[in-house]
This record gives sequence, structure tokens and C-alpha cells, in this order.
Amino acid sequence: MMEWMSTIAAISPMRAWGIDVPNYFWFTGSSAAAFIISSFAHVFGFKQFKPIAGFSLLLAFVLLVAAPFNLIDDLKQPGRLVNFFLYGWENFGTSPMKWGVLLLIAYPVLILVEALILYRPYFIKRMEEGRGFSRTFYRWLTLGRASLDAQSLEKDHRLGFTLGAVGIPLALCVHGYTGYILGAVHANTLWHTPLMPVLFLASAMVSGTGLLLVLLPIFQRFFSLSQAIDRSMMATLAKLLAWFIVIDLVVRALWLSFAMPFGMQSRELLYQFFSLHFNMVVYVEYGLCLILPMIVGFSKLRHNLGIVIATGVISAVGVWLFRWNTVIGGQEIPRSMPGFTQYIPEIFGQNSIVSVASNWGIFIALLALVAVIFPWDEEMETHYQGVNNGSK
Amino acid sequence: MPNDPSRRRFLKQGGIAALAGATSAQAFSLKNPGRDAQDPRYIGDAKAHYAMVIDLRQCVGCQACTAACKVENAVPKEQYRTFVSEFEIGTFPHVRKGYVPQLCNHCDNPSCVSVCPTGATFKRKDGIVVVDSEICWGCGYCLNACPYDKRYFNAQTKVADKCTFCAHRLQDGLLPSCVETCVGGARIFGDQNDPNSEVSKMLATFPTSVLKPHQGNAPQVFYISLDSRLEAVHEATPMLDDVVRKELGLLDKEWPKLPRGVS
Repeated sequence: MMEWMSTIAAISPMRAWGIDVPNYFWFTGSSAAAFIISSFAHVFGFKQFKPIAGFSLLLAFVLLVAAPFNLIDDLKQPGRLVNFFLYGWENFGTSPMKWGVLLLIAYPVLILVEALILYRPYFIKRMEEGRGFSRTFYRWLTLGRASLDAQSLEKDHRLGFTLGAVGIPLALCVHGYTGYILGAVHANTLWHTPLMPVLFLASAMVSGTGLLLVLLPIFQRFFSLSQAIDRSMMATLAKLLAWFIVIDLVVRALWLSFAMPFGMQSRELLYQFFSLHFNMVVYVEYGLCLILPMIVGFSKLRHNLGIVIATGVISAVGVWLFRWNTVIGGQEIPRSMPGFTQYIPEIFGQNSIVSVASNWGIFIALLALVAVIFPWDEEMETHYQGVNNGSK
Repeated sequence: MPNDPSRRRFLKQGGIAALAGATSAQAFSLKNPGRDAQDPRYIGDAKAHYAMVIDLRQCVGCQACTAACKVENAVPKEQYRTFVSEFEIGTFPHVRKGYVPQLCNHCDNPSCVSVCPTGATFKRKDGIVVVDSEICWGCGYCLNACPYDKRYFNAQTKVADKCTFCAHRLQDGLLPSCVETCVGGARIFGDQNDPNSEVSKMLATFPTSVLKPHQGNAPQVFYISLDSRLEAVHEATPMLDDVVRKELGLLDKEWPKLPRGVS
């Protein structure tokens, strides 16, 4: 290295993205994963996932509705949100951020419609039982189709399948585009790889499954009709998580084994970057948050409920750290001055720890609201009675 | 129901009306109102293609350009549109100084422009890359896309900001303030399309180089006598000391905040 050269004066460049952005990426990714898990039952016909398909679909919806608040908070001029819709369409082909306008509108609408169709028979029941406002409200939710004859139910099934099938590429796009946002930035050594969307999707499947492993037992134990946790489902999800981790590790291995030895200008910087964050990346992100959950998922430990829930937590946290290390870490890398920049999030204010915590608050509030409106518990119960005969 | 003729007619007529409205109304051009209106500030001099040559043999690192730019463009405290990075090369007694004046490169292929989701930043016909501070929503995509780190969020306007080659001065037939103030005559500015301009003559006479050519941005700021080792410093290691940044305490507050006390 050039020890014989030293800097006397340089300016610190300003970096744009703070803690809100990794959080946004985590939310959209987990949403895509929850949607795909729900589609296992709705589209691919994996019957064992039927009981959680509805819940997973609602979770995908709530995650995606909560996610964009992070972006608005990250803006320096959030009051100009409308400009995003009015102007700049000439850059549609080259600005992945622009794709988000269409995706972030189309995707939640699609999930909502799919959920409304899935739960239509229950809404009709509630509509018939209800009076006054409740009756009107549930009539809206049936989208004006109040018939429950075989033909209507068949139509529901067909629509559910179609929306699920269209939704899978859409879900992949919703998260894939966030990978494009970073991957398209050729100025950033860490981000500029065509693998970025795939990396994001692979890790998203891990975080989404991890989140389900945490939320499902909470909802089943405290809010479902039978108040019983489906332990075999938890074990199945833990194994699914392990397979997703395998895919994630393979993609990451492809990424790093290419960028580090064969990268041109990037090679040296990536070595420095990973030396700087060695402990965090190797021991925490890979060892604790990926390898360990993978071992749990593939071993008999997956039948231990406590361990599986803890596995869900650490794998979801691990993917959050990966988002952080990618978004924030990428911006630490120097481009016009010597040395890595540093980022410590603010505690209060815009783009701060409290704003991210507030976003989680929005997520939890929305999840509670959706769980109250949608009869996910009744729907879940029918599958257990029908398929598993109530054995849990 | 879907084949109901009255409904079809309604959709057809409504569609045509909506299309006509969208194509005629200025607000629905989906680009940038200033550019659509052919405002001269947005178009510039259509015949010119501006460029700058920085002759490093003449630069003495006095930072007069830095100061002139800040005053001319009211650049907020601790923010810069141009700056001269200063390095020390070699070990005692064989030591010399190296300077790299830096500013927006007004690239012919600007990565900040292509990623802008609001069309707030764009390249004028004379090659100058500008930001429409009324349209920019402050997402920061351009800050991340610029390989040269030559953009920042202006602490006062709260939108992306950068060097404009002093477009407001060019409009009045003046030179950019950094060029006018340069004591060594190291900064030469002019129209590349005019073969008699000083900048064209310099480009024709001397071998020049640009920063980070591998990025493919085609910068329009050219350096004479650029020591490639100095450029390498910009992608260098944490080992290199930075006296001024340490002295000013910039290391502690460089990323998350806009500078205090100016907004």
C-alpha cells in the first residue's frame, strides 16, 4: 500500500441513506417471502401449508403496507411525494426506484383482492349475522358477490389461483427491484453486481420464514380459536427455513467468490471492507444467524418449539443485519476521500432508531387491525378440522 | 354485462377524453415542467458543449476556488461544490505536495441523471448537469450514484445540490467563479464545440486524463498532468491520515447529519 502518501486535506462526502432503508428492504423482502409461502398452498397445491396460507397472505399484505413509510421518512422533502408520480418518467428504464411506484401499488392491491376472495365466505357469514354498520362493512368486503353456491365458490377458487400465480412474479419483482436499486449503482463497489436482486430474494425468504416462525406461534397460542400451536407446522417451517438458508448461502458464496478474487477495482476495497466488518459478518451474520438456524432446521432440534422460535428470531435478525451491512456498509466505502466513512444512526428524528421503531409500531398496529377484520382464525381452524382432524 | 354497448361506448369516449387531456396538459408531460416549457435556464446554450481543463502544473492548492465557489453560490457551512484535496507524497527529505481540485464532472453519461426518479436532475443541451431544486424530493439516489461524490444535500434547501459550472454567470457572459479566481490559471473553461476556445486548444495540445474512466461516465472535466497515484488515493485505505478532517472533528459527524446551525 502507499504508506509514503498521506492526506493533508480532503472533504467528507455526504452519504444519503440511513437506517430507514435497510428496514424498508427487510419489510418488502419478508412480505414477498410470506406471499410465496402462502402461494405454496394456493398455487402449488402443497396441502400441508393450507392452514397458514391465509395468515401468511395477510402478513404479506401488512408488511408491504407498512414498508413504504420507511421510504417517506428517508426523504429530505417528504412533502414532495407527488413529484415522484408526476415527473421523471423519462428515466423509467434506468431508475429502478421508479419501478417501485407501480410495484408498490399493484402488489398490495393484488394481495388485498386475493385475501378478500379467500375470506369471502366468512365475510358473507358475518354480513348475514351483522346489523347496521357491521353489515354494510362486511358487504363491502365481499366486493358485492354475496352468493355461496358451488359456481361462485368455484369462481373464487379459480380467481384465487390466478391471483396467486400472478402474484408470485409480482412478489419477486417487488423485492427484486430493491436489489436492482443497489445493483444498478456502478459507483458502489459492494452493490454493483447482477446478483444483488437474487441475493436479496434469497435472504428475503429466510427473513420471511423466520418472521412466520415468531408470529405464527404467538397468534395460534393467544388469538386462534383452539389456542394451540401447530408444532408439526413449526417443524416443517423450520426445515423450509433451512432449505432457504442453503439457497441463500449458495448465492452469497457465488457473489463473494466472484467479487473478491476476480473483481477489478473492487477487489482491494472489498478485502478491506470485509476485514473491517469481519467479526460481524463471519461470526454473527453467517455463523450465528445462518449456519446455526440451518443446523436446527435439518436436525431433530426443529421439533423443539422454544428452539425453533429462537431460530426464527435470529434468522430474521440476521437478514436485517445483512441488509444493514449491505446498504450502510456499501456507503462506508470511500470514493473521493481516503478512508471509510462512519455511520451511527440518530436516536430521535427523521431517519433514526425511533423512526424505525415507530415503523414497527405501525406494522404491529396494522397486523392487529387486519387480524381483527379478517377471520383468519376461523379459516385456519377449518383446515385443521378438515385435514389434520384436529390433531396438533 | 361486459358486452353492454352503452358501457363500451362510455369507456371508449372516456378513454379518448383522458388521452387527449393527458397529452395536452403540461402537468401530465411526466418529465419536468421547466424543460417542457423550454425555459432557457433548463436548456442552456444549445450550440455549446462546456468543459473544464484543470492544469495541475499550475495549481498551488490555495483553495481560492473553494472560497469563491462558496461565496458565489451561497454554499452552506461545511459543504462544498468544489474542493482541492491535498496530499503529501514521499518521505523526508524527498517530499512533495500533490493537489487534486475536484468538482462535478458534468459527465456526458451522468449516472446521477439516469437514476433520478423525479427527473429533477438532468443534463442541459450545453452539457451542464443541473438540479431543479423545486422538483427534487431528496431521495439521495443521485448522491449514491455519483462515482465522484460530488453531490450533497444542501442544508438550506434540503435537496440534492452540486456544481453548475456557475450556469447563472455563463448566462451573463461570465466565467465560473472558480475559474475567474484561480491565481495560477489552473482552471480553464470553455466551449468544446468552438475550436478557437481556450479549452479546445488545451485539449488539442496537451494529453489529458479524467478521474475514474472505468466508470464509463465520460467526465467533461479534464486534468493535465494528473498523477494516477493521487487518484488511487480516492479509493484508498483507512491507513491514510487526514489531518484536516481530524482537526475539524468531521470524522465524528460526517454521515447522518446535515451541518448544524445553517438551516
